[in-house]
Amino acid sequence: MAKKTNSAGQTFIAGLWEENPVFRLLLGMCPTLAVTTAVKPSLTMGVSVIFVLVCSNIVVSLMRDLLKPHLRILMFTLTIATFVTIADLFLKAFLPEMSAKLGPYIPLIIVNCLIICRAEACASQNGLYISVIDAFGMGLGFTLVLCLLGAIRELLAVGTIFEIPVMWQSFAPWAAMRMPVGAFITLGLLLGGVNLITRKKA
Amino acid sequence: MIKYYIQQSWLLIISAFFFGLLLAVTNAAWSGRIEENKIRKLNELMSSLVADSEFTVVLSDVEVEIGKGKIVKTDLYKADGKDGKRSGFCFIASGPGFADKIELVIAVDAAFEKIAGYNVLSSNETPGFGDQIVNDYYRRQFIGAPVEKLTISKGKEQEAKIIDSEIIAISGATVSSDAVVKIFNNFTEPLKSEVSAAGLLTDDN
Repeated sequence: MAKKTNSAGQTFIAGLWEENPVFRLLLGMCPTLAVTTAVKPSLTMGVSVIFVLVCSNIVVSLMRDLLKPHLRILMFTLTIATFVTIADLFLKAFLPEMSAKLGPYIPLIIVNCLIICRAEACASQNGLYISVIDAFGMGLGFTLVLCLLGAIRELLAVGTIFEIPVMWQSFAPWAAMRMPVGAFITLGLLLGGVNLITRKKA
Repeated sequence: MIKYYIQQSWLLIISAFFFGLLLAVTNAAWSGRIEENKIRKLNELMSSLVADSEFTVVLSDVEVEIGKGKIVKTDLYKADGKDGKRSGFCFIASGPGFADKIELVIAVDAAFEKIAGYNVLSSNETPGFGDQIVNDYYRRQFIGAPVEKLTISKGKEQEAKIIDSEIIAISGATVSSDAVVKIFNNFTEPLKSEVSAAGLLTDDN
């Protein structure tokens, strides 16, 4: 759950590291593992999540005083599903190749725990400004992790980052990095590294 | 009683209406562009199979059974070269793959006797295994193969270079390979019958 933070700056920064959705909260694992085969799809997914997070947080924050306790999850889901559908239609219309590449993982943003968690933990209890800042912080933290994972996997799988060749000519690609096993290993190592850093700090 | 339910759920009802309206407007605004993208992609894939040709629909909503009593509809396109002569036929064929539905764009020659090739329109097969159905070394086996029942077998890479009705499966992706062959078998012969019945296979082709 989100720590009670007073300043917008603290709220924003919390999403980048202290309460990073992937590294610290372990939310949104499914798209993190599935779409991070390269930087481009990772970035597209991240931006889509930011859009849905911001829009749903705005709507939930605006209607927070009207929410009935027994209907709040239904309202959250309805709101999130609407904006995910808009994002999906946008990608189909303006980025059809990326939409085809991401496939079912864009509609699956609806069940991304990160978004409903922020709606419950922040937007339904705070004003509009803090809700928007929180959405941007969390979304950006999620996007940065996805891009990092995507960069590592793309670099080792095909020797490119953002489809720009960076490895030497004789580099032998690791095909496994394109597959789920590569995603699990890379994420596991990154999580281990994060735990090591945070344990040392403590 | 009704008043109580409305008191409890008015926000839900109004939100559902508002969000529904928002989605309807968004869909109306962008559906044209989405449709254009689909048509452009289909034309690109067909052009890569039958070069320098113009495509027009000759048979619409042809019903094809893809097994277990399931019927799908497809359109058949004729490809005419710049000289006006028929250069082939194209159609979208689909069927269940290992992970999800596989959609192919298949091209055949003007006499509907030999396969000109295929492109993958959409698939969600396993990365590194089933997704190799897009690779040239698998697709090449179909180019020039006869329009008849194809069979799948596990064989050596050298055998894959022989063009006949036997298709060598991708190592580690037998189900996906078999799915592609089944799609061909479900669509090519029935469509050939339809084309023949429609009198589209003439000596002028």
